[in-house]
Amino acid sequence: MASKAGDWRSYQRVILPPVKDLHQVDVYEQHGGYKALRDVLTTDAWDPASVTNEVKKSSLRGRGGAGFPTGLKWTFMPPVNPDIPRFLCCNADESEPGTFKDRQIMEYNPHLLFEGMVMAGYAMTIKTAYLYVRGEYADWITLMERELEKAYAKGYVGENIMGSGFSMDIVIHKGAGAYICGEESSLMNSLEGKRAYPRIKPPFPAQKGIWGYPTTINNVETLACVPLIIQKGGDWYASIGAQTAPGPLLYGISGHVNRPGVYEYPTGMLVTDLINDVAGGMRGGKKLKALVPGGSSTPVLRADMIDGVTMDPDGLREAGSMLGTAGMLIMDEDTDMVSFLRRITHFYHHESCGQCTPCREGTGWLEKLVTRIDEGEGNLRDLDLLIELCSQMEGRTVCALADAAAWPVRHTITRFREEFEAKCRPSLVPAGGVLANA
Amino acid sequence: MADLTSIPADQLVFTDDEKKQIQTWIGRYPTADGAVMRALWMAQEKFSFLPPEVIQLVADAVGIPYAKAYGVATFYTQYFKEKKGAYVLDVCTCFSCQLCGGYDMMHYLEKKLGVHKGETTEDGLFTIQEAECLGACGSAPMLQVTNGPYVHNLTEEKIDAMVDALREGKMPAFTSVTLPQDEDDMGGNRRSDVSVVEAYSVRPVSETIK
Repeated sequence: MASKAGDWRSYQRVILPPVKDLHQVDVYEQHGGYKALRDVLTTDAWDPASVTNEVKKSSLRGRGGAGFPTGLKWTFMPPVNPDIPRFLCCNADESEPGTFKDRQIMEYNPHLLFEGMVMAGYAMTIKTAYLYVRGEYADWITLMERELEKAYAKGYVGENIMGSGFSMDIVIHKGAGAYICGEESSLMNSLEGKRAYPRIKPPFPAQKGIWGYPTTINNVETLACVPLIIQKGGDWYASIGAQTAPGPLLYGISGHVNRPGVYEYPTGMLVTDLINDVAGGMRGGKKLKALVPGGSSTPVLRADMIDGVTMDPDGLREAGSMLGTAGMLIMDEDTDMVSFLRRITHFYHHESCGQCTPCREGTGWLEKLVTRIDEGEGNLRDLDLLIELCSQMEGRTVCALADAAAWPVRHTITRFREEFEAKCRPSLVPAGGVLANA
Repeated sequence: MADLTSIPADQLVFTDDEKKQIQTWIGRYPTADGAVMRALWMAQEKFSFLPPEVIQLVADAVGIPYAKAYGVATFYTQYFKEKKGAYVLDVCTCFSCQLCGGYDMMHYLEKKLGVHKGETTEDGLFTIQEAECLGACGSAPMLQVTNGPYVHNLTEEKIDAMVDALREGKMPAFTSVTLPQDEDDMGGNRRSDVSVVEAYSVRPVSETIK
């Protein structure tokens, strides 16, 4: 397989273009900011349906991890009824380990996000939008509140935006440290001032969302793409990167590379290009051992599995993983996969909300068993017990956290089994190395 | 460390300004409940932690039952249900930070301050906590000071300097980590106002609360 990103070396960034102080509203305006919004709101060329259609045409898929087509999601909203409020919610509760891309948009290009939110609000005839930011991003909330005030002062948000008669408020909501709030139904409960337990679906947010009213929830990067689509056209957007999931993508690269950080490139980049060229190669000239392509819940890939693999949903599915949030963790040859998995199981145990038994108890047992193996006290049969436990968790809970906790366990053990076996108690390995799995 | 009855009754009040602020937040949601998280944040900033009587105060100010406010306060890790040190050092050890030396940094801090994670130093200045992913994987290892500023790309020297500054009451400044592509295209960071965040959501413990 070849790269689907075309001539990525000459790619010009659009979400985070190289413009000094672009986070300031004046600079943003000088570089064409809020022009597309003016077109949408004040000219006859656009109405709510045509904005949605343009987004549909762009084939933009949600950047929060699930990759659902954004335009299609917008059409799930019921017909407008003036008596029933409707809400937009921007999910900025970025907490999937390995993911740190949305924070760059909040820090470097917040007005692009605000513009995208107002456009989405217009397309779905929404008057109130909530921007749910994780509590740890306190500094970025302060920064964005300041910029939002300026956007209000300039009349880009609020009452009668640019004299168009369309009004929309943006409310920044500060979370307080819970991974589960990134799950959309849990986020809605959190916004309502409840404990953030996920809800059973259906009903989906478009039918019964925040306070029971129709709601659409989109990720930060997703909404930041909307002004670009309106400005340059859905066809332009669809022509970037991998055909089935096009567009610019923020790759968050961390771990054992020389230049970790967030990079903007088209979707469908070769994994090897990203590691060796974009991120400056492996730290200390070490060999690549493994890679997590899209946040901690996406299955880990061994170094021998990544040749020709591209960073798009299809490419990674064929390779045996998922695109997720495109938060890539790169591990070198010295990495201990057992302690790596131990830390992941600890994370999910800590973050399970406790609502469903298979997840609350299962994540705890995953951690206990992996810890036991990591400390040399494990038995070989614990490995099969872990896989069995994963099967008892997957698909048996209200939300996908149990699945997200089980996948890395299942795949790390399957793909690095000999490392786990080596850490188990030797007494149970019979002479000759044949594994009993008793 | 749990010290749940330390706030004198006459100090256990919101000022008129604070009550007005809560009303503003309430106005932004269809029902008052939506404002409870912000109100809890404000209370934690004021009283440094959230013992039951503070949660009761918040519940009354927002106009919701105590049980509901208590449920929210106990769900989220950033709300401190017991008294902590003046500076809470949340060292990230999750995943990317683990691989880039997050545990080394945490153990260095533990040795330096003479307490384990989850404990507070005897002088009441520092609490060390192990944090889950704080969303700064590109600048691992890192830590966060009292739910406020991030300190990126930790080294032992950086920790020494930070601890010394904190002992003098100086919080770390907001730092904007350069995007690698900006380094190539613009020769450095794109933000010229990198030190503009001064209003931290949670300030160190005030003198009044012992």
